[in-house]
Amino acid sequence: MTAFIIRRLLQAVMVLLVTSVIVFVGVYAIGDPLEILLPADATPAERAQVTRTLGLDQPLPVQYFGFLMRALQGDLGTSFVYNQPAVQVILQRLPATLELAFCALLLALMIGIPLGLLAGLRPGTRTEETVMTGSILGFSLPNFWQGMMLIMIFAVMLGWLPSTGRGRTGTVLGIETSLATMDGIRHLILPALNLALAKIALVIRLTRTGVQETMPLDFIKFARARGLSGRRIVSVHVMKNIMIPIITVLGIEFGSLIAFAVVTETIFAWPGIGKLIIDSINILDRPVVVAYILVIVAMFITINLIVDILYSVLDPRIRGKR
Amino acid sequence: MMKFRAALAGVLLATTSLTPAFAADLVIGRATEPSAIDPHFSRTGNNQMTADNIFEPLLLTDENLQMHPGLATEWENLDELNWEIRLREGVKFHDGSDFTADDVVFSLERVNDIPNSPAPFTDMVSSIASVEKVDDHTIRITTHAPNPALMEQLGRVFIVSKAAAEGATIDDFNAGRAAVGTGPYKFVNWRPAESLTVERFDDYWGEAPDYETVEFRFISNDAARTAALLSGSVDLIDAVSPSDVARLEGTQGLKVYGVDSGRLVYLALSMRDDTAPGVVDAQGQPIEPNPFRDANVRRAISHMIDRQLIIDRILSGAAVASAQIVPEVLGGHVPELQPQPADPARARELLAEAGFPDGFGITLYSSNNRFPGDGDIAQAMGQMLARGGLQVNGVVTQPYNVYAGAATNGEYGAFVFSLGASTPNAEANLRALLQTRDTDAGTGGFNRMRYSNPEFDAALNEAVQEFDPDLRNEKLAEATRIAMEDQAIVPLYFQRVYWASKEGIDFTPNLAERTVATDVRAEN
Repeated sequence: MTAFIIRRLLQAVMVLLVTSVIVFVGVYAIGDPLEILLPADATPAERAQVTRTLGLDQPLPVQYFGFLMRALQGDLGTSFVYNQPAVQVILQRLPATLELAFCALLLALMIGIPLGLLAGLRPGTRTEETVMTGSILGFSLPNFWQGMMLIMIFAVMLGWLPSTGRGRTGTVLGIETSLATMDGIRHLILPALNLALAKIALVIRLTRTGVQETMPLDFIKFARARGLSGRRIVSVHVMKNIMIPIITVLGIEFGSLIAFAVVTETIFAWPGIGKLIIDSINILDRPVVVAYILVIVAMFITINLIVDILYSVLDPRIRGKR
Repeated sequence: MMKFRAALAGVLLATTSLTPAFAADLVIGRATEPSAIDPHFSRTGNNQMTADNIFEPLLLTDENLQMHPGLATEWENLDELNWEIRLREGVKFHDGSDFTADDVVFSLERVNDIPNSPAPFTDMVSSIASVEKVDDHTIRITTHAPNPALMEQLGRVFIVSKAAAEGATIDDFNAGRAAVGTGPYKFVNWRPAESLTVERFDDYWGEAPDYETVEFRFISNDAARTAALLSGSVDLIDAVSPSDVARLEGTQGLKVYGVDSGRLVYLALSMRDDTAPGVVDAQGQPIEPNPFRDANVRRAISHMIDRQLIIDRILSGAAVASAQIVPEVLGGHVPELQPQPADPARARELLAEAGFPDGFGITLYSSNNRFPGDGDIAQAMGQMLARGGLQVNGVVTQPYNVYAGAATNGEYGAFVFSLGASTPNAEANLRALLQTRDTDAGTGGFNRMRYSNPEFDAALNEAVQEFDPDLRNEKLAEATRIAMEDQAIVPLYFQRVYWASKEGIDFTPNLAERTVATDVRAEN
């Protein structure tokens, strides 16, 4: 087991190293950040000075080696734009994204599972058709368009909910969150729903398929024969069996919710990391882009490592194979 | 179990604190956000218009970019190298301390050592040899060489409180500890990527602003900003997309403000090398010598372009055609240089005179996310050039972060670019855009096409050395005349920029595309 974890950690280090090279060179290849950072009337002398202070006058390998040396000491570089440690810039915005992703996930489960059950238990009825057609909309309409429509309907036309920013936040256990105030929660609803729509559709489909596959099975018939109520059969026996694939898929999806909430964050001016990465790419703030990708890669590696370790613990056969 | 819950609730309550509820009197939705609160950290527009609320430079800039006395009340040249500047008396900093010459001396020196600044103010003070305090409200400045534009440069440096800013880091400014200025508003808090809140400074020396607290919300997406105004969550928005203008104007209870900005969109024709990238003969071989080095070819291309058609059809009218570098209200504008209608016949004549009766092959380059319509206008110009007798082999558009670097490296022959105005006259833009590139002299920093005309350079140098402001503007106009006669670039149009607000607010739109709280007044 220990050997397995050590092997995986070494692999993780290799992945991070390769990623850092690819991203570093990639951002370098896009263009010159000075073109965007400098004001329009900057003189060549100013330009040379800024190039020097940001270390951009060094050849690329030298720049990368310097980055690597500092990274080994835990310093992933200083943002060109903010002049603050890149990791700090990212961590400052991470809670907003985590909160958004978490709420979206919750919405996906709370709305998706009941609707999926409804559709699965009434095959061939108008209810099923309505739910399934609705879920197609969730899948197929572009995310940004859904966002604009949510804003148009609930913020502009009805005026029920605010459409920009986090609203008033509070600090709970040292974490800044919108969930601490009514105003914050109102600000959270639309972006969370926007982010959740595609996931809701996914959960509906998984649940419905699961229910339809489980219902004809023998153990359900036995349960019926034992005289259990329909409600108990569904809520205990069916649910237990269909939750496994749903949890597995959503576990993977949660990672992508965090890493790719870009569209939602941009439309709703949500101050999270998705908006940060897009802005940073546009302005070629290389330290932030590299640090962001490394943080996200590290996050995915950790999730996968935990999953693999859990598998190994649960299933000795997997340990044997590796 | 109950005990556990009670304990948990207790822990949660003990660790819960709320940010103060802040119902701002005015909420402004801004497209851009600052990268820092330190006013000396970056000279870019988004940082400067943030600092404008809290700090003040020596001179104030009006909506037409003309400069007026601010913290400096009067100034005179003792001789060509020495200046004496009188400072305003009775001005207070936000912490209650008095504004004195020490703060000015400190601020002017401070701009030279801002660590890692991506756009420092160093150039504004680079001509200064020494600054000395004469008394509490007088300073004397000696320059290395005669510099008539000293006050225009110096006048843009924000003045910080020496007591608060000495030894302060960027974090001290961002947290507000060092953000002590003399401006009309006091810093309250900044939440990066989200909002900036400021509060009226009651001891402000100038006209008191109408709103007690102002919150800026940073909403980068155009449609989202418009929606925020429509839904009433913000009171004013800037950078309204031209395509939304008609809708907002037609909405009851909303007002739209527009102004022709100083941002010139132009077509650059690269004279840098013996061949121009994308310029080829019928066999697809690069043409040598570079046709763009012939003024007649440049004039021909200018005649092919129907500027008004581009403005009407692609930009929804959000621009005004141009035949020069700066708009009417800036110094150095040439009244008789008026944009001409397209004249393909004349273009063909000029091409024939230049030795290209059958035209030549050309590829147009443009960015596609820098300013409204940048990709589309390149497509349209491609068709216009084809009508004018050139073989257009392609129109290539790129995101700005890729495009800008490649343009600077000389990878494009004919390419679209824009240049904003931030000074009271044409000098800075003429020097950066059209003067012969000379790294040591600091000229031609944005002369990507490497235009070089000794006659123009001489005329501009003469203007730059003129101390009399009116004469200087005349000489700048003369230099502009020479460059435009030579068709150094093909000017297209000045962008029109828009703001929109709800009723009951009055906003003064400005040429510099800035959105500052003091430009917003309550309607009476």
